[in-house]
Amino acid sequence: MENALLIGLSRQTALAREMDVIANNMANVTTNGFKAREARFSEYLMPVARADSFQRPDQRLSYVIDSGTPLDLSTGAIEMTGNPLNAAIKGDGFFAVQTPQGERYTRNGAFELNAQGQLVTSDGHAVLGQSGPITLGPEETNVSISPNGTVLTSQGERGRIRMVRFADPRALNNVGANLFASQQPGEVDTVSRVQGGAIERSNVQAIVEMSRMIDVNRNYTSVAGMISRMDELRRTAISRLADANA
Amino acid sequence: MRALYTASTGMMAQELNVQVISNNIANMRTTGYKRQQAHFQDLLYQNMRRAGSITSDQNTQVPAGIEIGSGVKTASTARVMTGGNVSATEKTYDIAVQGEGFFRIQLPDGRTSYSRDGSFDLDSQGQLVTRDGYLVDPGITVPQDARSVQIAPNGTVQALLPGQTQPQVLGQLQLARFINPTGLESMGDNMFLETASSGPAIDGTPGDQGFGKLQQGYLEEANVNAVTEISSLISAQRAYEMNARIVTAADQMLSSTTQMFRG
Repeated sequence: MENALLIGLSRQTALAREMDVIANNMANVTTNGFKAREARFSEYLMPVARADSFQRPDQRLSYVIDSGTPLDLSTGAIEMTGNPLNAAIKGDGFFAVQTPQGERYTRNGAFELNAQGQLVTSDGHAVLGQSGPITLGPEETNVSISPNGTVLTSQGERGRIRMVRFADPRALNNVGANLFASQQPGEVDTVSRVQGGAIERSNVQAIVEMSRMIDVNRNYTSVAGMISRMDELRRTAISRLADANA
Repeated sequence: MRALYTASTGMMAQELNVQVISNNIANMRTTGYKRQQAHFQDLLYQNMRRAGSITSDQNTQVPAGIEIGSGVKTASTARVMTGGNVSATEKTYDIAVQGEGFFRIQLPDGRTSYSRDGSFDLDSQGQLVTRDGYLVDPGITVPQDARSVQIAPNGTVQALLPGQTQPQVLGQLQLARFINPTGLESMGDNMFLETASSGPAIDGTPGDQGFGKLQQGYLEEANVNAVTEISSLISAQRAYEMNARIVTAADQMLSSTTQMFRG
């Protein structure tokens, strides 16, 4: 009898988890270079007694468990910003960023210069070129980023932004602040193109998330109703049986 | 339920986004105004099942782990330092900078501020001052009887003095550049202050390598594009509403949990 309650509970836990994922996607609907996650669930079959000699064999019960939140790696909308230091990737590469914790990867191309003239992210981490950070001199103007990632100024080429691609980009870990960490080192990406003066927006599709949210909400409520009814059933059973004995 | 807090960070971010957009629209007609743009970042993630962890003795791996994010934060409200349109005003002391560079303004407390707003005037002593009466640095003093003041693209200020046929040089306007102009601190009144992230000011003559040219009788308009701002406003408002819907939905889920056992 408790099985129905527990199976319902496993579904509710999974749905609450999915709601958290949807809420995070919606919260980041305007975050540059953000990649949405979706929730995946799998069936968990309860092990049954192996022996066939039982009079009534165990029933197969299946619970829900969440198996993963894979990244949706589709490209977000590319918006022209007019800021020549911004860059968006057309393709499946990532920008490499030097952080105190090591190399991190991002699709957010909202770059700036720091006081030393280095190309940095909005957190001040250096954007890596093919030979280290890219530095511009104080007298240089007319900065532009060409489609192969080369940073051009009035003084000529100042370096080429390094793009990295991964054999399995879904294994990337989010570390916050629009950065990803990877256990496997990536390979240099020469296929992807860079669009200078543009930023890749979040790839969250608001309408899809909203309908998913309604779906989760209704499912959760109906499972709650089911659990209530199971409870009702048990209560009735207890009171009937108690009456019979009296 | 985490979704409640996650969605509330989304609402706060969109509220700030609307603030930034409304400030841009409010300053659409402000001379030399540079529009701001809010940039957001995702918050930390909770790793519940790490991608790449081993799932069996045969070394099978988890292809995609469970990572639950906790919302969004504002990373910066960076200024976009592109030039605005220049519009003709035909006033002698209105100067637009075409290209990079800021005018140096002497603040009354001794500090120097930097501005793209070249709507200058003369004070009672004939000194070139801003709309607030602050001195332009280096100082230019125009004699009372000077006629037809000319400001050349390279910043040389000349005027005809009575009894003379050749214009006299009254002074030289200079500009300042920064390696990272986005890092300047806005102090209001169309002025900026130097910071550690902007780098020190680099002084120079207009028209030199990297410096813009001056244009007398013109002013630089704000670089706000009304169409872009309005469409950003619409998307920010909708994003706010959708985050609010998530809060409602999470609330409904919680309320159905509390109503499961009534009695």
